[in-house]
Amino acid sequence: MVERSVQVINRNGLHARPAAEIVKAAARFRSDITIVREDLEVNGKSIMGVMMLAAEFGSQLLLRADGADEEDAVTAIAKLIESKFGES
Amino acid sequence: MDRALTGIPASPGIVVGPVHLLRWEVPDVATRIIADELIPAELERFRSAIETAKERLVQVRDRAASHAGPEEAAIFDVQITILDDRDLRLQVESYIRQNLAAEKAFDVVLHEWRARFAHHSSPMMRERVGDLTDVHIRLLSILLGLPDHDPVDVPKGAKAILVTHDLTPSLTVQLDREAIAAIATDAGTRTAHVAILARSLGLPAVVGLRDATMRLNGGENAVLDGSTGTLVVNPTEAEVAVFRHRAEREARDEAELRLLLSAEPITTDHQRIVLRANVDLPEESPLAATSGAEGVGLMRTEFLVVGRTAMPDEDEQYRAYRRVVEAFGGKPVVIRTFDIGGDKLPAGGFPHEANPFLGWRAIRMCLDESELFKVQLRALLRAGLHGDVRIMLPLVVTIDEVRGAQRLLDEAADELAARNVPFRRDLPLGVMVETPAAAMITDVLAKEVAFFSIGTNDLVQYTLAVDRGNVNLASRFTPLHPAVLRLVKRTVDVGRAAGLEVAVCGEMASQPVMVFALIGLGVRQLSVAPRAVPLVKHIIRGISVQLAEEAANAALESDNAAGAERQLAGRLRAAFGDASFLGDGLLGS
Repeated sequence: MVERSVQVINRNGLHARPAAEIVKAAARFRSDITIVREDLEVNGKSIMGVMMLAAEFGSQLLLRADGADEEDAVTAIAKLIESKFGES
Repeated sequence: MDRALTGIPASPGIVVGPVHLLRWEVPDVATRIIADELIPAELERFRSAIETAKERLVQVRDRAASHAGPEEAAIFDVQITILDDRDLRLQVESYIRQNLAAEKAFDVVLHEWRARFAHHSSPMMRERVGDLTDVHIRLLSILLGLPDHDPVDVPKGAKAILVTHDLTPSLTVQLDREAIAAIATDAGTRTAHVAILARSLGLPAVVGLRDATMRLNGGENAVLDGSTGTLVVNPTEAEVAVFRHRAEREARDEAELRLLLSAEPITTDHQRIVLRANVDLPEESPLAATSGAEGVGLMRTEFLVVGRTAMPDEDEQYRAYRRVVEAFGGKPVVIRTFDIGGDKLPAGGFPHEANPFLGWRAIRMCLDESELFKVQLRALLRAGLHGDVRIMLPLVVTIDEVRGAQRLLDEAADELAARNVPFRRDLPLGVMVETPAAAMITDVLAKEVAFFSIGTNDLVQYTLAVDRGNVNLASRFTPLHPAVLRLVKRTVDVGRAAGLEVAVCGEMASQPVMVFALIGLGVRQLSVAPRAVPLVKHIIRGISVQLAEEAANAALESDNAAGAERQLAGRLRAAFGDASFLGDGLLGS
């Protein structure tokens, strides 16, 4: 199991489009992926879950992956969040 | 049934065509229990409905992308991802395995999810309910075998009148202009999103019909008159003939007016008036540029926000502004900063307010959300390199707002400089005079701003305390009220004495009697919708400043709006004789 913490740095937060991008990225990995914000844990492969995080600008998230490609999965999703989803 | 439905005129023009009724509502679903042996087939039915819905959404997305652009089409990608959600599917399938029919299983799950989103403390979440509702309706329609009502289904060339409860952004981006010739909605006001959009697309529209979707069945023949706000169902041949005659006359008048394209807007006593165009969408700028307008007097920027899932970033805004600026090749382009709040909700949602027009909106919201505002300011400063960009602040009531905005503008410039991005620093900063407060402190404002622009719609609304969107108050919304005329006069006098340009922008500047009144009050710059430019030019060329001043002075001294209108209209009619464009009522155009 791999864990990594990451901050939401795009101004608009994890609204619908970024949530969809995270889910799309997560779906490429075989590992189970969980995203944690405060006391809420959601499935990283479910858009409903990721939207439910309501992660606004500045939120601190914990990414957790468990499976064969756990290392790559966490890296890919962290990178996506840190890339601000193309917002300037 | 009464065949003539009356609503609010939202976008002018007459269309005769079939009614295309769009009911985009969650249908009622009866509980249906299935036998154990049917469960595998029911699961299969559910999965195949999901696939069908996704195929539909891909088509809708691609069409929306070609009508409205990839950024607007992104909402459909989100909906596709929702349909793919494994948790959602598993939940529905577990209900089906407990003998619930697929449509009821899906209905129960979606109601649960929508309630969780709707009651969430984060506005970002509440804003997503619309996407879930769209998915809910679409999949249920497939499972229940209901007619698929997407506007994209209307065949090209149908020239249908789209009748719907309210035109949501996700419906709007699907509009195919070759199929839909006019829009009618139950909800909405003249300044609602649907009305602004219809005007900018040149689609005749009537809004605020209240219960048209309940009273129509779809398929009826109808006449929509966007100038008077009527929808006549199953018109007689004689009625159609009357409408056609009016439509032809309007087209003829317009053709005549277009001959004025290259004529100068000069009064008969040789006073030159600066005539500019209002632009709501970047797509309109070519039309505006060829209308004979000398630049843009009001570019609204709300299109960047309304109906979007996220605030546009700096690059996207820069491209949109640059497109308009370049279309006008160096002529002035006055860009108003976000006038959002109230009825135009940005991404991230807004707190519900009992009085949105007196609420947290426009410059108030921008100053409080300074990071969001600075993104816009940086984009404007960058666009400034490509022409004559001027920045205009909406809803100013105190000099502190001007100072706050100037400070953020300086910060925005420093940030661009630090990033080594090219921009122009010294863009003129002006204010909208649209509140009595601003009009009364024009002497204070004049020392620190570059120009005034009077927003007539809001000035009337705030001066008379009359909600411009309230159907029951329509007759009390009187722009010729002496109180309004006096505030305009004061603004013009103070501005002129300080050597500032004073313009009037807004719908009202395009009505013949208002043009006459404004010139009489000393206004020398008008900004109107592109389609109104030739008419306003025609009025200007037919009057003298001397006559207009005499009429305006008489109007200022009138007891009330009706008296002021008599003073103005009598003299205007005398100047033009019986010209048809003066219309069936000077203010009713």
